[in-house]
Amino acid sequence: MERMVILKEKLEQLRQQVLEQLNDMTDEKELNELRVRVMGKKGWLTEILRGMGGLPAEERPKAGQLVNRVRQELENKFDEVESNISELLKNARLKDESLDITLPGKKHELGGLHPLNGVLEELIDIFGSMGFDVVEGPEVETDYYNFEALNVPKDHPARDDQDTFYIAENLLLRTQTSSAQIRTMETQKPPIRMICPGRVYRADEVDATHSPVFHQMEGLVIDKGITMCDLKGVLEQFAKEIYGPETKVRFRPSFFPFTEPSVEVDVSCGVCGGKGCRVCKGAGWIEILGAGMVHPNVLSGCGIDPEIYSGFAFGVGLDRLTTTRHKISDIRLLFENDRCFLEQFNR
Amino acid sequence: MKVSLNWLGHYVDINVPLSELCDKMVMSGFEVDGIEDLSESMKNVVVGQIERLEKHPDADKLQICFLNVGSDMPLQIVTGADNVFEGALVPVALHDSHLPNGMHIKKGKLRGVESFGMLCSGEELCLKDSDYPGAEVNGILILNDEYPVGTDMRSVLGLNDVIIDFSVTANRPDCQSVLGIAREVAVALKTKLKIPVPEYKTKGGNIKEYISVTVKDYELCPRYLGRTVANVRIGKSPDWMKKCLKAVGMRPINNIVDITNFVMLETGQPMHAFDLRDVNGSQIIVRRAKANESITTLDGKRHTLTPEMLVIADAKQPSCLAGIMGSLDSEIKEDTNSIFFESAKFRRDSVRRTARHLGMRTESSARFEKGIDIMNVEYAMERALQLIYELDAGDIIEGVIDCNAGLPQERVLNVSVSGINALLGLDISADDMVEILNRLSIKTTNSGDTLTCAIPSFRDDIEGRADIAEEIMRIYGYDHIIGTPMKGAIVRGKKPYDRLCADKIKIRLAAQGLYEIMTYSFISGKALDMLDISADDERRRSVVLRNPLGEEYSEMRTQLVSSMLNVLSTNYNRKISAVRFFEISKVFIPKSIPAVSQPEERYALCIGLYGEDENFFTLKGIVEDILSCFGISAEYDRDNQPYLHPGRQASAMSNGFPVAVFGEIHPDTAERFGIDTRAYIAEIRMDKLIDAPVEAVLYKPLPRFPAIERDLALTCDKELPVAEIEKTIRSSAGKNLEDIWLFDVYQGAQIADGQKSVAYRLVFRNPEATLKDEDVDASLSKMIKNLKEKGCVLRS
Repeated sequence: MERMVILKEKLEQLRQQVLEQLNDMTDEKELNELRVRVMGKKGWLTEILRGMGGLPAEERPKAGQLVNRVRQELENKFDEVESNISELLKNARLKDESLDITLPGKKHELGGLHPLNGVLEELIDIFGSMGFDVVEGPEVETDYYNFEALNVPKDHPARDDQDTFYIAENLLLRTQTSSAQIRTMETQKPPIRMICPGRVYRADEVDATHSPVFHQMEGLVIDKGITMCDLKGVLEQFAKEIYGPETKVRFRPSFFPFTEPSVEVDVSCGVCGGKGCRVCKGAGWIEILGAGMVHPNVLSGCGIDPEIYSGFAFGVGLDRLTTTRHKISDIRLLFENDRCFLEQFNR
Repeated sequence: MKVSLNWLGHYVDINVPLSELCDKMVMSGFEVDGIEDLSESMKNVVVGQIERLEKHPDADKLQICFLNVGSDMPLQIVTGADNVFEGALVPVALHDSHLPNGMHIKKGKLRGVESFGMLCSGEELCLKDSDYPGAEVNGILILNDEYPVGTDMRSVLGLNDVIIDFSVTANRPDCQSVLGIAREVAVALKTKLKIPVPEYKTKGGNIKEYISVTVKDYELCPRYLGRTVANVRIGKSPDWMKKCLKAVGMRPINNIVDITNFVMLETGQPMHAFDLRDVNGSQIIVRRAKANESITTLDGKRHTLTPEMLVIADAKQPSCLAGIMGSLDSEIKEDTNSIFFESAKFRRDSVRRTARHLGMRTESSARFEKGIDIMNVEYAMERALQLIYELDAGDIIEGVIDCNAGLPQERVLNVSVSGINALLGLDISADDMVEILNRLSIKTTNSGDTLTCAIPSFRDDIEGRADIAEEIMRIYGYDHIIGTPMKGAIVRGKKPYDRLCADKIKIRLAAQGLYEIMTYSFISGKALDMLDISADDERRRSVVLRNPLGEEYSEMRTQLVSSMLNVLSTNYNRKISAVRFFEISKVFIPKSIPAVSQPEERYALCIGLYGEDENFFTLKGIVEDILSCFGISAEYDRDNQPYLHPGRQASAMSNGFPVAVFGEIHPDTAERFGIDTRAYIAEIRMDKLIDAPVEAVLYKPLPRFPAIERDLALTCDKELPVAEIEKTIRSSAGKNLEDIWLFDVYQGAQIADGQKSVAYRLVFRNPEATLKDEDVDASLSKMIKNLKEKGCVLRS
């Protein structure tokens, strides 16, 4: 009986001592050492167990139970302390690792599209969603596609508006993407819904608003029952997406040989909302493109019966759209390709 | 078309402020390009009369004038001019006045005597003798007694006017005249149009006694109308006429010439007056010029003519380039006695071609080129004669010569009301349409769905329903057009495949830090010289412009390299330390020289780089990436482009064709472009990428068995291309070689001279089973044996 009491006392003493030590424990290494000292093969607990050999056989299970209970308790305590310590360590490390988050980010440098093509991609997306296919046409055109088929015969005064670069008698650099209208109508049966972006050329001397090389996007719709209201509907959607949902569209009478009626299309000035300001030069409106209903002569020239089909066409100047959109003061910047210019549009 | 508001007011009631007039005109199709208020050039300058002159007490050269300027008190002004006298009428710049030459006049003291303004010279008012008689006299301008004392000088000089510059579209030649604009104003403002009705008396005689007219070419001259005036009294035109002419920038000359100009501006019909003395044989012959015939025009220039050109000739020689300009020796002179007035229609393309050919452009030719109304020819002549009569400038002779090949009948168009509404998408009533068209001088009646429209002769542009619809719409108002969403099945629009290819390239290049650039498609004829491209190189065959803006923009490019080099140069010289650029653009390959048909237009891709981190291999990496994303695995050969470094250039060969040429810029080329650093350029045949077969990407099962990696370090001759080594490795590795990675190339210490060390990591894997070391060892020893034959020794 005394042995049993002694064992109990020993166990309790050990338990108290270990718990006490664990309470102050903050070091992982010391913890592990203590764990080995207490729980290891040659540890104190094992020693106590060995001391059980002197117990009578009937008391041994009880003693074993006692030892195991303490072992279990200490085991739990060790685990708890261990996890506390590692939590402490982790917190200390995290604290230590705190960064000055206002330091600049590290970037992989990306390039980007030319701003004009950035704008063009937007347009392709807008018109694409309305079912317009993208087509392309040659930049070196024949007189027929650039002028005659567009209802501008030789020596017509309308040719004066477009100073043309010639290569040979009937070969020229296209002055307008409208030439693609004809090529499309010749090869495609209505319904037609297409846009043709591309480069065009006019013999304009270079200055802040003129370039001999510039870009247009032609649009063409041919179907049964197409009206001028449809034209306005499409252009309104385009204007709202480009200039904002409040944008209004205005038609003004104009003249293009290949459309009749022809209109200039203005959008309400986004800066003053139409009241008139410096940006719109007091007009409240900004001219953005020319448009109209496809001229019956043009339709029949392409083998489309104007009594059955009607349609509209429009032409947007992409360079001007780009410069107004990004408030670029000089069109020449678009062709200069200064890296400091190009990287501004990388967003 | 510049129009004087005062002049316009003679023909139409303008009952709205200027800004409203302009707005209404803009919305009916006449854009306003400019508004010039002439009165703004001069302020506070009036007619004054010198009542008394006194000598200045302290200055011999100065006089004190006491002037009546229409106020109660005489005005005291000190002047240094010596041509003034008591009783003279002079322009007086009052205190706080502005002169057209920019001067601002204030009161002050001259040598102690107060002066409340300034007397003006003609020069100070920016006048010439033709503007006001005596304006160029050295001294103060002495005015005639036409205007009373106190009159604003702007009234005297016709400066109380506003000039509106209307932009007239090419379809409206009838509006190249004050009357034409007046007609549109009357429609826009719904006010009355007052067209002058010509009335005059003749003095008997018969034109046939003076002249005969023969038109030899009715094709080029569909109508030629002539009248004669005898006993011409050459003199100055009246003030009102001079003001009209001057307001739109035309110089008054004499009554006869001024009448022809006035009528042209008023009616849009150019007129010409011949001095009958100068018409040889009293014959006017309208004919084509003979080859090498010549004429000296009014401006003193001599022109050699061709049979394409129409002239007005007499029995001997041409005396006028039809519709463009008269000859120097047939002009109206001070002593001209009898004249022949011409009012004609010349074919517009003929006038245009002749004027272009001779490099001439006159008010007259501009109007003929745009097209004039054949019926208006007669009205203009009547107006001219009326003015002759009213100004008493001569005796009008009986008889008209009217040569024409038949005058057109009035055209009548029948168009359907519903057709017009269908085109516009509106529901405008037939009554509204009729009302608008009649206001536009298109006499229209309506029955059922049909409008019957009589088209006036000056509206040649109206051909059918679409034109009628436009006329209605521009007056009805475009604000009635309400946008409707597109009808029909909404299908997403498609992009063509080559554009999709370009998109793919752009995304990959941008991801690698390249910016897209955009350069002109035409370049200098010398651009290829800058690249040392040889004379017989294919790239020299280019599409050449006939009328370039200058030599530097004269040929369509066949390559993008020279444009890229210019851009690299621009950036380098702006001290930008590093750039990565690309351009996708067309090159133009002619089918013949010189190009007479459309060339092949194909897309090319050019890449240009410079900067500390760039080298041949950074460029090659980009090229490889682009080629591989089109499924092209190229072999790299040395190339010999003259603009590239001879040892650092390559072409990427695919199926024996160079799809890309790239390398470091030759130092000579770089120097020529002002680039003082190593720069790199690649040109890629985009068309070949587009043509590359498209293969769907197929999934390969992910590896289930472990790989074995082995490093292989070799030494070999430094000239041996690694591609050779790689080929040997691949061919002798067996089927389990999964990947080769060249991780080091080294020359220098520990490596013998003329040798290099090359190190590879090889990855082996059997997709079916776990690979054993022995298997790999076997492959390796076979590989090492083969490499040895190539001169590669395993480094210990």
